[in-house]
Amino acid sequence: MYTRAFRYERADDLGAACAALRRHGEGAKVIAGGQSLLPMINVGLAAPDVVVDISRVAQAREVAASDGYLSIGALVTHRELAASEVARASQPLLGAAASYVGNARVRNRGTLGGSLAHGDPAAELPLVMTALGASYELSDGRETREVRAEEFSVTLYTTELQPDELLVTARVPVLGPGWGWSFREVSRRRGDFAMVAAAALVRSAGGVVVESRLALAGVADRPVRIGAVEAALAGATRDEIPDRVGSIEELRPFTDTAATADYRRHLARVLSVQALQEAHRRSGEDG
Amino acid sequence: MTSAGQPPAMVTITVNGRRRTAPAAGHVSLLRWLREEAGVTDPKYGCGEGICGACAVLVDGLAVSACIVLAAQADGCEVTTAGGLCRPDGSLGPLQQAFHRHHAAQCGFCTPGMLICATAMLAGGRHLTREEIREELHGNICRCTGYGPIVTAIDSVQNGAATR
Repeated sequence: MYTRAFRYERADDLGAACAALRRHGEGAKVIAGGQSLLPMINVGLAAPDVVVDISRVAQAREVAASDGYLSIGALVTHRELAASEVARASQPLLGAAASYVGNARVRNRGTLGGSLAHGDPAAELPLVMTALGASYELSDGRETREVRAEEFSVTLYTTELQPDELLVTARVPVLGPGWGWSFREVSRRRGDFAMVAAAALVRSAGGVVVESRLALAGVADRPVRIGAVEAALAGATRDEIPDRVGSIEELRPFTDTAATADYRRHLARVLSVQALQEAHRRSGEDG
Repeated sequence: MTSAGQPPAMVTITVNGRRRTAPAAGHVSLLRWLREEAGVTDPKYGCGEGICGACAVLVDGLAVSACIVLAAQADGCEVTTAGGLCRPDGSLGPLQQAFHRHHAAQCGFCTPGMLICATAMLAGGRHLTREEIREELHGNICRCTGYGPIVTAIDSVQNGAATR
């Protein structure tokens, strides 16, 4: 299949890419790994006039821990994130989620910034960033601003990014000792987008939950924290988690070709319980 | 022709050890460039979405779907296609021989991508179980063989049985 023609421009650095986006206006799209954009172009869902390639710039490629944060550059690929010892030491949830993205070829090229900026409501990395309370540094090449992950996703495929802005770095607060983590998803086939995915974090003491975080993807137009469940879990033993999770009434999932709303609601409950119990178990292992 | 009407830029890509320079308009995928400009037709167009694996090639040693990489993005890179897995004298390499011996192809459309992704999965050097090989192949779709012979062929290479 031949795609509609577009022009290609390679940016020397991220600032130059922002300037190019301003120069070209509405018809311009940023490309890094291209693992979402090029499939969309190939099937006719996107039709840019020009793509601005940031895949060769030297910036935003580091995974580094300092001052209580893990900083991950936007151009870090899913493969690199899944393999990063620095990321694993700070927060194993990140690499676990990255290893669920697409297939190995997608993970070889696809980038963290690309996944976050694409804004697919079922994607793994926006979900774990939401669960972890991450924030993103956005830059238009002149000014930078910081936006919390929860506020970054606006709705389906729509984020806070302005047309000439790039997501440069994700900053993930490093949790103290005693937190366990878990990532679970169900998709029709391995590598497909999840029907529902769950990311859970639990801190326990004496076998009961002290603090928890639960976020779900695939149940709304963006990843969502489930605050009601988090509040209900305080003081729960592992065996009490299913009752405390309840039926998560607040969810209003949608029906599409992958799953019905009812099935998504069912998956949300099952995956939440599994993820929270696994996170609870791991929180005990850490001491 | 680009949409701006300028002549397309030239890209230089080393394909299976041979340096090639040819024009690549901005929207031309690496797959299309390989097939139409470089005359290397072993990677196949399957889905156009990076799901089926028929177009898989190695770019600087990493497996990618050539249908969702722009030729311009691969400028200056080394690309290996299934044909590049042959020995220097043109005879079949170990993995290719194993696919032949174990009848790991029927229609053959997925085979070049299978060979490339199998090469990438074995490059780590760790011994994989049959289950792990199956898991690694989830990004390569075959509608003929049922995957059994493909898994057997890949397994046989890591067992060192391919050149027996």
